[in-house]
Amino acid sequence: MSDAQTAATGQAAAAGCGAPAGGAPVKDAGNQAIVQGKVTKDGAPVGVGYARLLNSGGDFVAEVPLGEDGGFRFFAAPGDWTLRVLAPGGIRTDLGVSAAIGEISEFEVAV
Amino acid sequence: MSRSDVLVDADWVEAHRDDPGLVLVEVDEDTSAYDKGHIRGAVKIDWKKDLQDPVRRDFVDRAGFEALLSERGIAGDDTVILYGGNNNWFAAYAYWYFKLYGHQNVKLLDGGRKKWELDSRELVTDVPQRAATSYKAQEQDSSIRAFRDEVVSAIGSKNLIDVRSPDEFAGRLLAPAHLPQEQAQRGGHVPTAKNVPWSKAAEDDGTFKSDDALRELYGGAGVDFGTDTIAYCRIGERSAHTWFVMHELLGQPNVKNYDGSWTEYGSLVGVPIALGDA
Repeated sequence: MSDAQTAATGQAAAAGCGAPAGGAPVKDAGNQAIVQGKVTKDGAPVGVGYARLLNSGGDFVAEVPLGEDGGFRFFAAPGDWTLRVLAPGGIRTDLGVSAAIGEISEFEVAV
Repeated sequence: MSRSDVLVDADWVEAHRDDPGLVLVEVDEDTSAYDKGHIRGAVKIDWKKDLQDPVRRDFVDRAGFEALLSERGIAGDDTVILYGGNNNWFAAYAYWYFKLYGHQNVKLLDGGRKKWELDSRELVTDVPQRAATSYKAQEQDSSIRAFRDEVVSAIGSKNLIDVRSPDEFAGRLLAPAHLPQEQAQRGGHVPTAKNVPWSKAAEDDGTFKSDDALRELYGGAGVDFGTDTIAYCRIGERSAHTWFVMHELLGQPNVKNYDGSWTEYGSLVGVPIALGDA
């Protein structure tokens, strides 16, 4: 392993588990199974709220705060998931989504 | 100890935030949320820059913690109300960390930043100016922090609670699904660990479930309330959330957080690892 790779690996291990608003940035899917998209209300982005990923049993897997553009992104395992959006005003919307390795699966959620 | 000794709700914070001797602190890994808007009067603590040693993988030492709290204007007898994003993971971690260094009066805002936002409560950008103090910390309380050898020794003899998601527990994922997946370590869990994801202890809005529901949750998963407990996750934040539930809400006497967690355990040479679902 090169020094650069060692440094990158060490950095990854040292970082916390925090969920960046909108989701961690990516250039392409690579070997990840990405679920991403935007949340809108009446066509406008919902910038305050949360996107949660639930597994097929309905159990929580991950959550990110929505970005200012209403965006979210998850790095899932391949398969079917439920996306749940929470927003002020008691908004709670569920949507079935699926993920595959090497693909970016894109969803728009209107609440 | 009762729930009201360790937990406050948003209405309480709005009524008491200007009380003398009370300090609101927002804790996060990414403090840009604080910079965009925070509860009026709150100071910020950066989980990484302020609480982690910049070179070694460890906490800032006692003198470093004293310098941090002195600079933020927090006194030893202040009541510190912690809140943050990620369903209060980092605030719960900071709570555990404050207790580790002997700060007595510390509480969590139930639901943290998320509940506050979902309630559409006020957030401001003004940063409060607090006069510096001369904070004195205690030596670390080793009764609430577990290290790796203790975790290996606990296999089959103490409660080990893996609070990560079922996919991380089984070894299918190496990090929470909101992060890119790492390849640096082995997947799986510590043998004999029970999988009780931190999220099962919280409602959708981030508030903690009732004591009865929490006892049923852990008891139902096979946790023995008569035995000592070690909680772990990937890096110790989510398990601080479970440490708070077990030690502070349920009053279990001997509960430790293993902050080395899976990023350490899953990289150790020669230790046993179990794969598969619970």
